[in-house]
Amino acid sequence: MLKKIIKQLSSLRFTIVLICLLGVMFILGLWVPQKDLLRDIYYQWKQSSPRLVFWLDFFQLTSVYTSWLTLSFWFSFFTNLSLVLWQRIPVVRKRIEISPARIAPPETAPGYPFRESYLLPDGMDGAALMKAISTRGYRLIGSEAGFYGVKNRLSPIAFGLFHISFYLILLGGLISFYSQFIGYVDLAQGEQFQGELYQYNSKPYPQLPKIGKIPQASFTIKSIVPHVVRNTPTGIDVTLVDKAGQSHIVDINQPYTDGPSSFVFRHLGVAPLFVLKDATGKELGGSFFKIDVVGGKEDIVRIGDVTFKVHYYPDYELKNGRHGTKSMEFNNPVFILIGEQGGKKIGEGTLKKNGTLAMGDYRLELRDVPYWVRFYVVKQHGLPIVYLGFAIASIAVIWRLIFFRRELVGALREENGVRRLVVAGRSEYYKNLAIDEFRKLFGEIFKNRS
Amino acid sequence: MAYWEMVFYWVALVFYSLACGGFLYSFIFKNPGFMPKMTKLFALGFVAHTIAIIARFNATGHLPWSGHYEYALMGGWFVLGGTLWVGWRNKELQGLAIATLPLVIIMMGYGYLQNPGLTPKAASLKTIWLFIHVYFAWLAFSAYSLAMAVGVIYLKKTKDALQEVKNESLERFPSLERLDELLFRFIVFGFVTDTIMMAAGSLWAKNLWGGYWNWDPVETWSLISWLTYGLLIHLRVTFGWREKRLAWLAIAALSTVIICFFGVNLVVNTSLHMFQVR
Repeated sequence: MLKKIIKQLSSLRFTIVLICLLGVMFILGLWVPQKDLLRDIYYQWKQSSPRLVFWLDFFQLTSVYTSWLTLSFWFSFFTNLSLVLWQRIPVVRKRIEISPARIAPPETAPGYPFRESYLLPDGMDGAALMKAISTRGYRLIGSEAGFYGVKNRLSPIAFGLFHISFYLILLGGLISFYSQFIGYVDLAQGEQFQGELYQYNSKPYPQLPKIGKIPQASFTIKSIVPHVVRNTPTGIDVTLVDKAGQSHIVDINQPYTDGPSSFVFRHLGVAPLFVLKDATGKELGGSFFKIDVVGGKEDIVRIGDVTFKVHYYPDYELKNGRHGTKSMEFNNPVFILIGEQGGKKIGEGTLKKNGTLAMGDYRLELRDVPYWVRFYVVKQHGLPIVYLGFAIASIAVIWRLIFFRRELVGALREENGVRRLVVAGRSEYYKNLAIDEFRKLFGEIFKNRS
Repeated sequence: MAYWEMVFYWVALVFYSLACGGFLYSFIFKNPGFMPKMTKLFALGFVAHTIAIIARFNATGHLPWSGHYEYALMGGWFVLGGTLWVGWRNKELQGLAIATLPLVIIMMGYGYLQNPGLTPKAASLKTIWLFIHVYFAWLAFSAYSLAMAVGVIYLKKTKDALQEVKNESLERFPSLERLDELLFRFIVFGFVTDTIMMAAGSLWAKNLWGGYWNWDPVETWSLISWLTYGLLIHLRVTFGWREKRLAWLAIAALSTVIICFFGVNLVVNTSLHMFQVR
């Protein structure tokens, strides 16, 4: 019974079934909004179709990549892979073995689709012929009376390497998963980050590591300079200074890394310094407000009991009486503010840096407009293992599929004083194309000598 | 679109369309002598296509890497470049263009309707990984497309073998056994480049998005596509699936690649692979 189960678990049919099932789960993950990936869409959907989403949640189809079903498929996949690999080890060992038993008469050796006979040109002896074959990458054993040659002998090992790379990726992924910290932090120009948990955004709340600590990095944001050409962001230079006084530039594609922690640029915002004064000029309040208005969104600023709805136009223009922006370039940044107090509108208007906007009994000043950036902070320990897995997978797949094995058996035969090479050849994967390859090989060898 | 880019884009499309029509004529009217002439026309179109890419590069300062139009422009170039190269190395395979030309003409037509505007290179694309990731992605697409083309020819030729009067245009191709092996060779090449593409993409994703794997729709489809071709290789090597079954699989499997390149971003607007240049 156990043997039967192991046989089923280790079959390649089972591998194929599992790959198909995993593929189905991945497609489901694309089709059904996943709550970890598309949080906003998921919650909107949950509100509009609570019953449907309840059942999808129940069957874990809204977190399909980490569902028990997917995890059990993965578990079965790796169990199957382990068993297949274990069974293949002796086969691979046998295949890479090079022994005189492989020497066979080329005229009758079974499984060799290429069979030819070549006249040995004048001046070429058996040793020169063997040398010519071996210089073309064949390892030869035997003598001119009968030899066996193999090219890319160790290629079957790459099969094992390729599949071992899966375990490395799995191991690295597991280590990363358990040691992973993920959080978002919004930092404005001049702000200091000390690596404290309270500094991270509360929404979404940081994902704390199951093993290990949160990132220990500490730095100050020195400057933030966004670059935009028309409507395309072409770069951002965030200069930060670490606790050792060393400057680092963060750009898109260029995170700040501190050991296993990365600070990846995710979002840009503006942090205007608004100051609210009363009619006499007395300051009622003011501060830098990190608001999320770049890209046309609306945000809210509250100073005392006055609320301002804020819009932002980086390249402001007034066209046909409508506020707008010529591009996303920061050429002429202007805020549009609508002030409200006690639910009543008290005024609205545009405000530029160093400008003042009068609203009823109040005056709002804009003294400075630095930027703020949102960093996606991630700390993972397993990445080098994952990368090693990727490297091995790439190398192994090239090795196994491009540098596959070619085998030759040959012998020099003499008849009526004429010496001939009788040779048979075969390769993995290909039969007809290998025949062309062997013809070319021996064509070259004999042409070079004639 | 830059002026000369537009001119040569249309010249290329016209040449490709004429060549495609010529290849079709050659197959339908069993006139193999027409094929080399059509290959020349196709090559002229390819030259125009190349000039269109150079003109765009000249106007934007970067190679066309992103957005549906640029996918079509560059992807089409790789697929047809591969077809020409294969036909140049082996004259018997010139006719593979019968399957790759329509694919690219549709791609280019679709791309033109999307976003051909000139855009500066988005910051997210400024990395060395772009070249490795995208280059290998196009190589994989090209190889898989050629596998599809061989599959189509294989099936036509199998059907033709049963006819009393043979289609000489199909006779021009290598034997069925050779086509079967060529098909597998293209799949293998595509799988190798696909693997490198995915590994390079993961390394890039770590720097750009903070994680080497984000279950992004395009990422997920590329994994589905990779698994599909991996499966195909296993079916061939281990279970001996070949000939008609493999040909059908090679044709069907290309759909996963097309969905990955064009389909996902068309229906999903949450993909990280938009790069703000949809």
